[in-house]
Amino acid sequence: MRFKASIQNISTFTKLTASLNSLGPLAWVKLSEEQVCFTIIPEQGTQVWAVLSIDTIFETYTIQSAAQNIINLEVPLNSLNRALKSALNATSAQIRLTKKDNIPLLALTIVTTSSTSSRGAFPPGGNNYEDGFETSTFDSGFGQSRETVITQEVPVRVLSPDLVAGLHEPQCREPDVHIILPPLMQLKSISDRFTKLALAGGKSASGTTASHRTRLEMAANMHGCLKMSIRTDAMSISSVWTDLSNPELDPSQVAGGEIGIAEHPSTRMKQLGSADGRSEEGWAMVRIDGRDWGKVMSVGRLGGRVIACFCHEHALILYVYLPNENGEEESVLTYYVSSYSA
Amino acid sequence: MVTLNFALMPEAAARVHDLLVCLHKFSDTVAIEARRERFTFTALNSSKSAYAALTLDGSTFFSKYEFVPNKGRQDGRFTCSMYTKALLSVFKGRLHDPSGRDGAISRCEVSVQDQPNQTACRFIIRMFCNQGVIKTYKLTYEAVEVMHALFDRNVAKNRWSMQSGALKEYIEYFGAKTEMLDIYAGEDGRGAVFKSYTEKIANGKEVLKHPLVTAVAVNTTDFDEFKVDPGLHIIISVKDFKAIVSHADTLKTSLKAYYSQPTRPLQFSYGADGLICEFTLMTSGAYTGAPSSQTPALSRAHSRAQSTATERSEAPDAQRNMPPPVEPASRRSTRRTRPPGSQRVAPPGAAPEEDDNNNESLFIPERQEEDHQWDPMEYNDEQETLGWDASAAQDDAAYPTFRDSGSLAQRMEMERKDEGVAPTQRVSQIKGLW
Repeated sequence: MRFKASIQNISTFTKLTASLNSLGPLAWVKLSEEQVCFTIIPEQGTQVWAVLSIDTIFETYTIQSAAQNIINLEVPLNSLNRALKSALNATSAQIRLTKKDNIPLLALTIVTTSSTSSRGAFPPGGNNYEDGFETSTFDSGFGQSRETVITQEVPVRVLSPDLVAGLHEPQCREPDVHIILPPLMQLKSISDRFTKLALAGGKSASGTTASHRTRLEMAANMHGCLKMSIRTDAMSISSVWTDLSNPELDPSQVAGGEIGIAEHPSTRMKQLGSADGRSEEGWAMVRIDGRDWGKVMSVGRLGGRVIACFCHEHALILYVYLPNENGEEESVLTYYVSSYSA
Repeated sequence: MVTLNFALMPEAAARVHDLLVCLHKFSDTVAIEARRERFTFTALNSSKSAYAALTLDGSTFFSKYEFVPNKGRQDGRFTCSMYTKALLSVFKGRLHDPSGRDGAISRCEVSVQDQPNQTACRFIIRMFCNQGVIKTYKLTYEAVEVMHALFDRNVAKNRWSMQSGALKEYIEYFGAKTEMLDIYAGEDGRGAVFKSYTEKIANGKEVLKHPLVTAVAVNTTDFDEFKVDPGLHIIISVKDFKAIVSHADTLKTSLKAYYSQPTRPLQFSYGADGLICEFTLMTSGAYTGAPSSQTPALSRAHSRAQSTATERSEAPDAQRNMPPPVEPASRRSTRRTRPPGSQRVAPPGAAPEEDDNNNESLFIPERQEEDHQWDPMEYNDEQETLGWDASAAQDDAAYPTFRDSGSLAQRMEMERKDEGVAPTQRVSQIKGLW
């Protein structure tokens, strides 16, 4: 079993682990010859299934295993994220699977070069220092550059193929509405405020504090509208976005092709509602937990385009497409948020 | 009656804040010792494995310093102890702020009220703030005897020094919950490694909760000075190291380390602007370096013989001033850190140590495991083990393994009797003395 790669995009990898870590401490990482999958299945709350093309984060990627060159690992995201953070200013960073004292590890080897600051270049009592002529061989113009090699060892667990065979991506019916979300920062700041208000309202209301919930209602229609609302005993607030876009379905991706699209729930939803968001009709709505949604929104740091698919009163599925310079294979993070019945 | 009055400029008062923040990481109380020409803050942590002494020079650190000792006291000192938190609430952050915002002071005056005719003794601190506001704080203190940890730098043959800024960078790479720091000098003499790790061994699912192991490899050319025996591991607490480096970085100075061998104290020292900071820490660790030829082994053994000699003359002094720091239970295993093979050949002189081990083993349920985790980590165990065996068998004169245990046993003997020579002492060691 071998895995070795150099990390090509440290910042993306760091942000990815940070986003995933907000949903759960452990990730199932599946490394194969074609792609890298990160899956978070928390005990409750939103699941994430991320599929990344190898070149999104790695280059010079080597993988070997007895099971069709697939390696399944359980990785503590917090440690991995912490390790990656020390590589943010690195000149190079490598990751490999290794073993020490019978504990499998992901070992990161990070090389950083920093030029010694001015106080370092002229140390007090410089008698221990070589004179300028000798050090100049290592110099890059001025100041002395230091090369530091950092190794970070993240303990992991190797998962057997049988163990992961039972893990399946959630299945969901065709969505009623699909829509491109507004910038997540905007969405998050509003949903966070709503959640806070709901929590504060819950405190003042007597008696029901124990079972207090922070349910956000999210709804969208096929005319570019997104509505977020919160209802408590004391208040009802909602925000409506208009002029968002509902991407066209690709016939090659829909079961049944053109006919499939004609019969698609979203085609029917197009007949209902209006673009100003005032109509009562044509909304597909889900009830989600405000705090859980805040964790989902953590993915905003990756700066991807997000398409939200609403299955009315059933589930909300977010597809986060990572920015990709090459534009060849896309990397997608899929978030499965289920809707509460009340 | 004691007279102690001094005044601080805002910059110096801010330095006092910084050093209190650092000492607070070691102990809840600081001890204060005033002498005619200097003023010292000391702190000893609860496990007595770390001792800090931060000395402020009377003439350069203070804008005014006056001390007249109590006539009754022969040593000419004034000593007391205070809560670090209480002092920190007086020496707050941002005392020195050129833009003169809230909290900035123009001057600070301190005096001690310690008179037999008054019922309460107080430490009086007056902060002169903007707009003529004077804040007066009266703090209580406890009269205590201040002890110092003695450290003989002549014995500490291993030393290095590095800019605090670079070290600050390294400590930021360390994982959040790690406990131990291994400072390791490469066997080729060109590199050094700072490695933070945690001893705890977890099983199964728990493994994933194990903190990061971080090793920072540095070229010796990045040090201002680096003179350490190749292959020497010295282990201290990460927390202590972080506290020291962070404080050294507030002074933008270089940090110097002095140490002899594992299980003997290590000292960090740095200073600037009339402030001298010394931290004496208990260590553990081991040599893993396989002597490649006989020559280095001999020379090392020789230097150690010398150091043993000096230690002997120093030891009684240290005894009187302060009991030797007690190793925390988590580090007790260190003495057993001899690689496999060396234990077999323990000389009769090591007998007292073995007894000691037996007592200690009460606290170490899984000795096998302990040994295992103390094995040198990533540096190819097999070869190193072989190296040790070879040297022990080949070279009877150098006793690379005997020497360690021999001198240890002898030291233990010293601690018991305070004088005298253990009957099992080696002739080679006696030669070093006279």
